[in-house]
Amino acid sequence: MNEPPVTEDWLDVRLREEAPYIDDAGFSKRVVTKLPDRRSLRTQRAVIIFLAAVFSVVIAYFASGEGWFVREAVARALTLSPLLVLGSAAACGLLLSAAGLWAALARGRGQAT
Amino acid sequence: MELTDADLLARVLVDGDQHAFGELVRRHQSPVRGLLRQLTRTDLELADDLAQETFIRAYKNIRSFRGEAKFSTWLYRIAYNVFRDDARKRKELVGIDEAKLQSEADPQTADPGLRHDLMSALAALPLHERSAIVLCCQNGLSHDEAARVLEIPLGTVKTNVLRGREKLKKMLSAWAP
Repeated sequence: MNEPPVTEDWLDVRLREEAPYIDDAGFSKRVVTKLPDRRSLRTQRAVIIFLAAVFSVVIAYFASGEGWFVREAVARALTLSPLLVLGSAAACGLLLSAAGLWAALARGRGQAT
Repeated sequence: MELTDADLLARVLVDGDQHAFGELVRRHQSPVRGLLRQLTRTDLELADDLAQETFIRAYKNIRSFRGEAKFSTWLYRIAYNVFRDDARKRKELVGIDEAKLQSEADPQTADPGLRHDLMSALAALPLHERSAIVLCCQNGLSHDEAARVLEIPLGTVKTNVLRGREKLKKMLSAWAP
């Protein structure tokens, strides 16, 4: 283990003692006034993600023959029994709730430590 | 009761509390500005601009602080990166501003002559030795921590500290007991 090299050598003592304390003199206030608004950072991030998602969907749509598989999937879903559709929706809902709960618990544990 | 750095960091992370971050800046501004003054060879204006950029970058990237190192060590690393980025842009070295160095000297110091000589001797060291000396000998970082801040191997930090100390001792031999 490399501990801080604190020795009683005259040079080390001088270096520590002569390191001047720099008075704040309004420095921290100046920094705080220049901090970006976290909400604007979050909004900016959300807009970028949304635009990237839209762009990807448009590319995927044209790259896949104008989404023929989506039309086919919808047509196939219409032939399914209502009970099966309801069951699938409930399964998806449960899966998403479980994932959300797991993420919330993980975040809670992270903040507690 | 005074809040710890961890309490303040939690407030910044959860609420984006700028006042809590301001308190962190107030606590850590002196060593960060001190380090940057040494790196910029006591160009006070440039050092303070870089220190400001350091804290703004820290605020923007606060979520990347995992608490594996001390908050101060993380700040030193950002400060060093900010300095390096700026130096790359400038591609030139700045000289010692003697007048500013004199005016900044603490009037309560026991021996202003020694401080002046020490600062001048430090400024005369090459950057890699100066940064290692300031981090390890002045700010009390371990060699390991300094290696992480400077992003160089541990052995190189040890060599730089050793060589820097030898040069300083030679330059400051008149002050030796």
